Amino acid sequence: MMQTGIRPYYPDYSTVPVERQINPYADNGGSVVAIAGKDFVVIGADTRLSSGFSIYTRNQNKLFPLSETTVLGCSGCWCDTLTLTRILKSRMQMYHQEHNKNMSTTAAAQMLSTMLYYKRFFPYYISNILVGLDNEGKGCVYSYDPVGHCEKATYRAGGSAGALLQPLLDNQIGQKNLQKPSQEDLTQEKALSTLKDVFISAAERDIYTGDSVLIKIITKDGTKEETFDLRRD
Amino acid sequence: MSILAYNGGAMVAMKGENCVAIAADRRFGIQAQTVATNFEKVFEMGPHLFVGLPGLATDTQTVMEKLRFRKNLYELKENRRISPKVFAAMISNMLYEKRFGPFFVEPVVAGLAPDTFEPYICNMDLIGCLNEPSDFVVGGTASAQLYGMCESLWEPNLAPDDLFETISQALINAFDRDAISGWGATVYIVEKDKVTIRNLKTRMD
Amino acid sequence: MFNSTHSAPPPFWSNGPAPGAFYNFPGTVAPVTNPITHTQSPVTTSTSIVSITYDKGVLIAGDLLASYGSLARYKNCPRVIEINPNIIMGAGGDYADFQYVKSFIEQKIIDEDCLDDGLKMKPKSLYCWLTRIMYQRRSKLDPFWNNLVVGGIQDGVPFLGTVDKLGTAYTDKVICTGYGAHIALPVLRDALDKKPNLNLNEAKQLIKKCMEVLFYRDARSYPKYQLGMIDVDEGVKIEGPISVEENWNIAYMT
Repeated sequence: MMQTGIRPYYPDYSTVPVERQINPYADNGGSVVAIAGKDFVVIGADTRLSSGFSIYTRNQNKLFPLSETTVLGCSGCWCDTLTLTRILKSRMQMYHQEHNKNMSTTAAAQMLSTMLYYKRFFPYYISNILVGLDNEGKGCVYSYDPVGHCEKATYRAGGSAGALLQPLLDNQIGQKNLQKPSQEDLTQEKALSTLKDVFISAAERDIYTGDSVLIKIITKDGTKEETFDLRRD
Repeated sequence: MSILAYNGGAMVAMKGENCVAIAADRRFGIQAQTVATNFEKVFEMGPHLFVGLPGLATDTQTVMEKLRFRKNLYELKENRRISPKVFAAMISNMLYEKRFGPFFVEPVVAGLAPDTFEPYICNMDLIGCLNEPSDFVVGGTASAQLYGMCESLWEPNLAPDDLFETISQALINAFDRDAISGWGATVYIVEKDKVTIRNLKTRMD
Repeated sequence: MFNSTHSAPPPFWSNGPAPGAFYNFPGTVAPVTNPITHTQSPVTTSTSIVSITYDKGVLIAGDLLASYGSLARYKNCPRVIEINPNIIMGAGGDYADFQYVKSFIEQKIIDEDCLDDGLKMKPKSLYCWLTRIMYQRRSKLDPFWNNLVVGGIQDGVPFLGTVDKLGTAYTDKVICTGYGAHIALPVLRDALDKKPNLNLNEAKQLIKKCMEVLFYRDARSYPKYQLGMIDVDEGVKIEGPISVEENWNIAYMT
């Protein structure tokens, strides 16, 4: 008969219930906004890394270039972000070495979905927004839930201020609820200025968004980077 | 789920140049099920005074009746119109009386002072913590979305027409991103010598 | 219908799995009353780490106390250590976990020395590696209950980074953990806003001030601390124990 108070001999095969209470997740905040146009895409993320009422750092990059034409923006649990982006980076490299070409944005988008779902029962707690140019050079935006649901869009706000910003983008970029929507294509200038405006609004009301915004503008000519300051309180 | 989000609803009030506006959606639902699309959450409490009561629908109506009673008693006793500021204080006190068994409403008051016609807006939480900002107040289940909209659409000294456009766009785009509010909207523009009430057609999903 | 007194069929074989079920390895089944327990809270703990970069290096300070709850139990527990001539490290949180982490960092340093390739581990490498160690343990829901602060010089540039028990990691010019994040960090950030490029002396004065303030306000602190220093010119030095200049005159309201 088995004695009580003894651990199973093969702990890895044990079916014994285990009591656990530490919380493996943290909410480190942060917001990401992405807007796609006909031949460009812009993505911005604030640079504040926080937890509760503490600001860990005011200068944390949350945009991860995956290839020449693809960038991923992450917010949520920072330790999961670090892990996911590292695995992603190596998967991108493996693809390059196996196929002798860079992974397309659409392929990267599908791969990210698969990688997130792979951890369906211990998910990466991240709100991901992936942007890039597709094979025709058109800007595209993909957004994800933590377990890999993927949706293609032309604009998206995610992260701690996602709820504040998405309706604003619906109105300003998606031209929702407007009497006479403009027929013209979205320009890079309009996308960029809207992106900055919405971040200023978010920083007013969301304590997890602030300090500054890092923006990447992807066109066929490459990626341009820009920053601008937000309130730091 | 919070009791405050049982029926759903969105509410916003804004200050303008010698005018105020208050707007709300028209949905009445029970959790995800929409039951009616003509539910009023904003109530007239005087010629220049409106109160919005987003939250639990049963409390919306109960609190409205109690407030109307107290306001009438005040106006009878004092023989003058109640000012928005006093009315807000009255709501706040009434809610705090029920500190440990509250009404599940987060009131929004909008109006013009009876004597000076000074614009006034405020909101409070369900136990009566007053907030009197100089720009706009929001309430209901779409409050996060409304904050985002108002924070960028609102600007100081809006004329009544512009205020109407601003508050309407803010409300509609906000509740389109909230699953349990929308289904039409009502906007009240309160000016010195007229109150304009408009029912807005919106997407019904 | 056929037989109302129908009973279960006899087993196919004894001591084996039921048909369609898996074989249960012996010893894998333990009484339900004996769950595996992990460290669910720290036991012997140390408090804040205060660290800052200056023009030519990094300073990391931490006091010498290891507390057992509110009991000031061990009063000579060094937790600012030299890893190699490139790296210093400070640790807060569970002291046993720190000693364990320290032991296998040291083993890793030995392993790399044995390669005899003349290369020394660099601070970013250690920082990255620790990130993975901490993340791996949190993923087993059995974390190392520490805040680790890594300081060093890489390619002539000062480096300062931190990892917590979840694997949350970031680099910054100033890093404080524990109570220091609330009390010392604002002081250091303010100083750095006013003068972004400090020299060694200014940085030392700031750390001294912070350790003093922390000693007064953090009930789990101690007036003796170590100061780890890594400098482009002077290399690694772990100074201490340094005493906080106490002044309790204000406490006597006579």
